[in-house]
Amino acid sequence: MRSQPRTWIGLVFLQFTEIAGADVQSDTAFFESNIRPHLVESCYKCHSVEAGKSKGGLLLDTKVGIRTGGDNGPAVVPGKIEESLLFAAISHAQPDLEMPPKKERLPDKVLLDFRKWIESGAPDPRTESTGKISTAPTDLESGRKFWAFQKPVAHPTPNSSKNKTWATSALDHFVFAKLDENGLVPSADAEPTVLLRRIHFDLVGLPPSLQDKADFLKAIEKMGLDSAFAERVGLLLASERYGERWGRHWLDVARFAESSGKESNFTFPEAWRYRDYVIDAFNNDVPFDRFVIEQLAGDLLTATNDAERARHLTATGYLAIGPLSLNAMSREQSLADIADEQINASTQAFMATTVACARCHDHKFDAISMEDYYAMVGIFRSSKTFFGTAVGPDNQLGGELIQLSKTLGLPVFYQPMKPEAVTKLKQDKVELIAKEKEAQAKAAQAVKEGKDPSEFFSLQMAIGNIWRKGAIDGKLALVDEKGNSNVMCMGVTEGEEIKNSPIYERGELATPRQSTVKRGFPKVVQLSNSPEIPEDESGRLQYADWLTHPDHPLTARVMANRVWKHLFRTGIVRTTDNFGFNGERPSHPELLDYLALQLVNEHQWSVKKLIRELVLSRTYRQASDYEEKAFLKDPENRLLWRMSKRRLDAEEIRDAMLFVAGDLDLERPAGSLIGRTGNRNAALLPFAKNIPADLDGSTARSVYLPVVRDRLPDVLELFDFAESSLVTGHRETTNVPMQALYFMNSRFVEERASSFASRIRNEIKGTDSLETEMEVAFRRCFNRLPDAEEKEIGLAFFKKTNGSDALKRYGQALLSTAMFRNLD
Amino acid sequence: MNGPILSSRRAHLKSMSSGFSYLAFAGLAAEAAAKKSSKGLFVRQPHFPARAKRVIFLCMKGGPSHVDTFDYKPELQKRNGEPWRGGSARLLASAQEFKQHGESGLRISSLFPNLAKNHADDLCVINSMHTDLPSHPQAYTQLHTGSFQFVRPSLGAWSLYGLGSSNQNLPGFVTLSPPSDMGGANNYGSAFLPAIYQGAKIGGGQLPALFSALTGKTEEPGPPMKNIDNPNVSRETQRAQIDLIAGLDRRKLDSDHHNPEIEGAIQSFELAYRMQDEIPDILDLKSEPESIRKLYGIGNGGEGDRFAKQCLLARRLAESGVRFVEVTAPTSWDHHSLLNDNLAKSSAITDQPIAALLTDLKKRGMLNDTLVVWSGEFGRTPYAQGLGDGRDHNNKGYSMWMAGGGVKGGYNHGATDDFGYKAIEKPVHIHDLHATILHLLGLDHEKLTYNYAGRDFRLTDVYGNVVRDVLA
Repeated sequence: MRSQPRTWIGLVFLQFTEIAGADVQSDTAFFESNIRPHLVESCYKCHSVEAGKSKGGLLLDTKVGIRTGGDNGPAVVPGKIEESLLFAAISHAQPDLEMPPKKERLPDKVLLDFRKWIESGAPDPRTESTGKISTAPTDLESGRKFWAFQKPVAHPTPNSSKNKTWATSALDHFVFAKLDENGLVPSADAEPTVLLRRIHFDLVGLPPSLQDKADFLKAIEKMGLDSAFAERVGLLLASERYGERWGRHWLDVARFAESSGKESNFTFPEAWRYRDYVIDAFNNDVPFDRFVIEQLAGDLLTATNDAERARHLTATGYLAIGPLSLNAMSREQSLADIADEQINASTQAFMATTVACARCHDHKFDAISMEDYYAMVGIFRSSKTFFGTAVGPDNQLGGELIQLSKTLGLPVFYQPMKPEAVTKLKQDKVELIAKEKEAQAKAAQAVKEGKDPSEFFSLQMAIGNIWRKGAIDGKLALVDEKGNSNVMCMGVTEGEEIKNSPIYERGELATPRQSTVKRGFPKVVQLSNSPEIPEDESGRLQYADWLTHPDHPLTARVMANRVWKHLFRTGIVRTTDNFGFNGERPSHPELLDYLALQLVNEHQWSVKKLIRELVLSRTYRQASDYEEKAFLKDPENRLLWRMSKRRLDAEEIRDAMLFVAGDLDLERPAGSLIGRTGNRNAALLPFAKNIPADLDGSTARSVYLPVVRDRLPDVLELFDFAESSLVTGHRETTNVPMQALYFMNSRFVEERASSFASRIRNEIKGTDSLETEMEVAFRRCFNRLPDAEEKEIGLAFFKKTNGSDALKRYGQALLSTAMFRNLD
Repeated sequence: MNGPILSSRRAHLKSMSSGFSYLAFAGLAAEAAAKKSSKGLFVRQPHFPARAKRVIFLCMKGGPSHVDTFDYKPELQKRNGEPWRGGSARLLASAQEFKQHGESGLRISSLFPNLAKNHADDLCVINSMHTDLPSHPQAYTQLHTGSFQFVRPSLGAWSLYGLGSSNQNLPGFVTLSPPSDMGGANNYGSAFLPAIYQGAKIGGGQLPALFSALTGKTEEPGPPMKNIDNPNVSRETQRAQIDLIAGLDRRKLDSDHHNPEIEGAIQSFELAYRMQDEIPDILDLKSEPESIRKLYGIGNGGEGDRFAKQCLLARRLAESGVRFVEVTAPTSWDHHSLLNDNLAKSSAITDQPIAALLTDLKKRGMLNDTLVVWSGEFGRTPYAQGLGDGRDHNNKGYSMWMAGGGVKGGYNHGATDDFGYKAIEKPVHIHDLHATILHLLGLDHEKLTYNYAGRDFRLTDVYGNVVRDVLA
């Protein structure tokens, strides 16, 4: 408390001066609720693309328009109220420029909001227009001219005379050129320890250990920072922890979850096999083009042995793990929805294009037609999806699973049965059906005789029977005829019938058009020799080939941008999952092209090699310190004048707590909690004996926590885990009291704090000094000693708290600091 | 360590050495930081003056029969037992009596005596509701999010996003014991909106009827709210911990200027600390006078008792500044059989507490700016099903009502056909209802947008018209 007055004044000061540019979320909220409505209401009529009017050459409905301005100059100059003509106009500061014309001045409150908005850098979440295209390029010809649908091309690497010593790679030259253009310079390198913490979290999602730090510093001494850092990067990329971190990034994009979600939320007990497949694929650095092919068409690849075959089939789980309606009005509707989900998920994940928007009408913003959409529907309707949920009263859409070889030693969580038990179950089912028929007949007879039929057959009995039958079917699905446990995965195979789909008007099954559309891919993408779909194949393999064709304008760009996003906190295209007209434009288009070409040509689609190139750049190595001039110019750090700070992800926060407390179990758990619990309605999970209330209860890495749609483990839910029903390339970051309550009161943090305290006690072995305790705790948490002031703050705590658990409470507080969960 | 686990806020404030000045500036700093960086629950101005400041949504899951409650159909009464449209189904007249009530003469069936007697002139009944599908989960999700096809933010989340919340010590959107099926957390989720706008669940989720029958339990196990209390630590120690955290965080800020994430974190620990006391205080209904408890029917036993407590809690939450409270009645209106027995059960559970809630809000002067919404996900057929003593789902026409916050009282809007099968006069779709609720909150449903993956999303997608006739 001692230093409070000073910092408090600081806080208030910040309130008035700081530009909250780094804070995209609240900016968006402010803009959406306080600025946009007035622009729409008062300005768009004369200054918008939609209205088709741009009086005075001014368009106010795009970020570019409002900043470029019209005949009189920029309407808004971020941070500069006097230079912003828009403000002059709406505040009626100049008699000849009073807006909106012939109307009352906007209320003072609104003017204040505009002032605040402009002064805080005029953050504007609206999509940009390139200036040339002011209407959406929805026809093929203009669509093909849109930047994202044009092939990446090699641009000459900029080379500035001012940049003799800073840039160490081509990437840096691109970054430097943009900074220089804007009168900015890069920041100095980060301290080695800051860099070490950054690279550890970024590559493996864990903090560096004390040993890591010692090794790193020693290596720097021996071979210099460049080599020591490169060596460290190599070590981390080779570690199995890498796949657990980067696999998880892909699982966000793959909308991975272990239940169907939606109205009837049934668990997917075999979904974890796909999760493990992804982690292994990243660890083995399966080239990204191959990774795409395996997920979309693994079943169609030739395998040299059973293990490889199992891996290929498991990969197609990608198409089966999406959110699923188990209670749709009809089976046809369900199948149409599954195909729609597959199109939506795969086009967004691989090409950041929202093809599924064309289900009911041509895409409103991109050159994607209904014909394109139904050409893809044919592909997925000619395939069969294995999601495997047992039929029950609340699940009308039962599904099978794909059988894998039983000889590979893959984990299975259900017991084999004796052959007699299988026979018995089958008999039970026959009897059940017979009894039900008999009861129904009796009830019908009773009705005829005017008696109460419920004695013989009631709704409750009917439901009970569906339940019992479902239970028998469920048990029988787990074993073969002889009672051996089946080994099964979710996935996709070719369908029984290969056929084209008609276009359905408004997307409704009741209104098909006469003719069908040939199976194929969106025509806006032009390839030199686009793969042809043979008559007798669904076209999934060709879809995968088409996506990974070296001429494809999007696949490599989109993936390079995803990798970039995780290392530089924001994508070059900020809307990582939408490169279309409604998405944002790249901040560094030439750099994005360069990276896409590097990924395909130089790195042969190796994600590890691309990561290596990015983190060994000088750009990545920058410090994250605040710099006023640069901040005012570019509050969002789009130009990369520093490294952006980030809060750790939910998984990193949990893993780091386990790590520091000495509790982290690095062994991969077999399967998952859901796999071990079996197929059931998620509403029943709280009653399952082996399911802890917070759905956690393990000390394994967080990537192995159960991911049930709409029912996440507390830590994931609280710290902004990806919405697992949506393709998520970028997670939000919120800062809410519920998170603080988790640190203060949750079982998980209590347990970590206890282990942490015992660990510290063990390490100091009887040295009874608060100072030593604090030093050891600090080193474990932050890899450094506390400074004098931090010690003093700690001593003040121990003065107030001296019970037997004081050390535990001190440790808990360290785990709860913002320092612990933020990265410089 | 041995002190009371939930020391009152006041006692605790007194015990703090730095006393008032600390609080004053902690409060100011909290507001400042909340406005700036904690991704704001702070109050935002509506698009235009609001008629309602908050919503209490009384959700009647299962689909209450409108022809037995709020939609009087003389023709149906006359033609009981006649074939429906020449098919095998038979029309089923309502066994309820539909008297006119209040000055307005609003017809409410004998199932809701308390509501009819005291509040007929407060209700704005929409008789011409319709929704897209006659299937529970889809219709229920659409009622809550506007979409049955995609995962979308719920009505409560949009309301909170549009308006923020006036009480930073409480979540701005609370849902009391929502069903764990029917779309589960989707119904109070924030989808692509920031997580801060999602509903906080208080009370265990209600189990699906089927599982409830099997397990003999109606609610999921667990405390009313997660992580709200730590039995192992005293408030004093926690206070010292929070000072320690804030001290270290501020120390970090000394060298790391302009880091809104850290400033926000300091504040959220302060807020969380206060929330720990505020929430149990609000959940504690014992502080209510006996007369109020009686009014709601607390002590009547059974599910009615539970619903009475939920309604009273809803009022307390609304009173404390929560923007959107949803209460799911602990009864299913899905009456496929034994219609009259089941209707009697469901209405007995809900009638007194709902009437009491309206009375209580009125007495406190809160009904003027509190919008109370009563609705199920659809209605029921005018013809019988099964053994002739139940009604099937009907999405083509049904009734719901609103009261308070800017709607006309004692008013019927729209109508179904002679039998109550289909909305034919001034039909109101779910999107229209959503547009109207937002309008009452001062929000233009076409302007309340959020940009996600490059598209501006709305609660009402590309649909929705405000039902102007119901505005007072």
